[in-house]
Amino acid sequence: MEKINIICVDDEREVLESVSRDLDYFSDMFNIEECESAFECLALLEELDAQQEYVALIISDHIMPEKSGVELLTEVAKDNRFIGTKKLLLTGLATQADTIQAINNAKLDNFLEKVWDPKELLQMVKELITEYIVEKGIDYEQYIEKLDAPTLYRLLKSQS
Amino acid sequence: MSSQYLKYLLPVIVPFIILILPGDSFGIVGLTLIEQRVIAIFAMAALCWVLEPIPIFATSVVIIVAELLLISDKGLWFFKSPSPDLGHLISYQAIMATFSSPIIMLFLGGFFLAMAATKYRLDVNLARVLLKPFGNNPKYVMLGLMMITAVFSMFMSNTATTVMMLSILSPVIALLATKDLGKVAFSLSVPLAANIGGIGTPIGTPPNAIALKYLVNENSISFGQWMVFGVPFVVVMLFIAWLLLIKLFPTSTEQIDLNIKGKFLKTPKAITVYITFIGTIILWLMGDIHGMNAYVVALIPVAVFVTFKIINKEDLKRISWDVLWLVSGGIALGVALDQSGLAKNAVDAIPFGNLHPLLLILGAALLCLVMANFISHTAAANLLLPLIAALATTMQSLLPYGGEVVLILAVTFAASLGMSLPISTPPNALAYASGNIETKQMAKIGVIIGLVGILVAFAMLFIINKSNFIG
Repeated sequence: MEKINIICVDDEREVLESVSRDLDYFSDMFNIEECESAFECLALLEELDAQQEYVALIISDHIMPEKSGVELLTEVAKDNRFIGTKKLLLTGLATQADTIQAINNAKLDNFLEKVWDPKELLQMVKELITEYIVEKGIDYEQYIEKLDAPTLYRLLKSQS
Repeated sequence: MSSQYLKYLLPVIVPFIILILPGDSFGIVGLTLIEQRVIAIFAMAALCWVLEPIPIFATSVVIIVAELLLISDKGLWFFKSPSPDLGHLISYQAIMATFSSPIIMLFLGGFFLAMAATKYRLDVNLARVLLKPFGNNPKYVMLGLMMITAVFSMFMSNTATTVMMLSILSPVIALLATKDLGKVAFSLSVPLAANIGGIGTPIGTPPNAIALKYLVNENSISFGQWMVFGVPFVVVMLFIAWLLLIKLFPTSTEQIDLNIKGKFLKTPKAITVYITFIGTIILWLMGDIHGMNAYVVALIPVAVFVTFKIINKEDLKRISWDVLWLVSGGIALGVALDQSGLAKNAVDAIPFGNLHPLLLILGAALLCLVMANFISHTAAANLLLPLIAALATTMQSLLPYGGEVVLILAVTFAASLGMSLPISTPPNALAYASGNIETKQMAKIGVIIGLVGILVAFAMLFIINKSNFIG
């Protein structure tokens, strides 16, 4: 089975823990990584890339010291090595300017406001991971129990 | 009628007229109905490839289907009705087999190697390491870039190589002053090197593979033999192109800094790619010491890469099937010309025998060069090589000059040398898209390289012939 990672980035420990708790559903098939800063996330990305592991999704907070979430996701969006990696911004304090930047430059796939509904987050991640797996040509059958069926059907239909 | 409709009408009307003309109006004695239909299909192919009313690979598919319907033994009943001058129907299997001819398999193997190399960043990492010794002097950086581009395009498609090198180069070019001619020189260096480099190996560019199709039996050339004359030709041409670039478009920049980031991947999959890549090339170069020819060797990387999931289902869809089909159509055209007997009859009917063989080689090469400047290199080779091959087999007077091999190679090389316009080749178009080059500048260097290339090819073929290297 391929190693597929989901990375969560937030400078607040509690938020990070609560996100990973909500994503526990995926933890037996996917690798869930926690980063406390954008720099930690970039270092982790280098490491995962050297191992040629898949990075399916980055869930990032926006307001963080030194480097913001939008800056981080913009960098990832421009990096050829992570084409296809899904990006979710999870934030309560984004101004309109931030949001515009996030959409135009970081090419966000999804936006979720703090405080979030765990069910909504789970569903969003399911859909994004399904998209990633199909787009990358990874054998979806082995992950099928964790994927979102309607999304899977839609994507496979458009492919055949 | 406006000329924009002409490109759609001509490829339909001209073949139709050819089909309904009486058989004796072509000046070929004993022309059969099948042969007449082959002329019509050939005319359609030529018009479609030149005028491009439909994509060039679509033309190839249409050729194959038209052959199946009009001249195959399982075609439409109407076209098979017995008649004394029907001629020889071609087996439908022979026509369909062009989709999977050994030439196609050779290219498929090449595509797999290139795709795996790109996916595991072998190409960029090699470029980074190989460019280092060339320092910061723009002249030598350009030489390095051209050499690496040429080497890569021997194994990858010319287009893929150009894309990779231009993406490395574009941030550097952007830093040069607006009026600096170095911008032109650097932008041109990549497509020139990619086009020239493709000549180096049988899998470098489709025209080479098509040539192999006609170099059979006593004329056959192995992968290694091709490189023995292909690589020196590439080296000489690259050097000439480099000198021209730095003379015609001197840069005013003193220093240039190519900053390519990255590390060689060390995962098991990446290492499998490295070993398979090197192994395949070694097997190709060894000739048939191991009993396998280049076509058989080409399928080994295909098996290895799919087994180890290096190329997955999604990657498989990204193979340039259109290029493979384009070549198939050319092969099918050759099969029809040859097996219907038309090629031989037509050549007999035209008094080429009176022509001086050298004049013929030169004329054929120049014709191919001109065509390749305006239409796809592969299409030019597809159209000319079957005719040239038929011509060569019947011309005894060619023998002192190297016979069939020399004529076919001269035309093949000419097909790759057509690069004076943005429309000549995809690499040219990509470089033109950078906005740094004017068509005039591309044409200036392209025409010189084309003509000088033909001369160099002649000199080389002369040496090959004198040293009895082939045949």
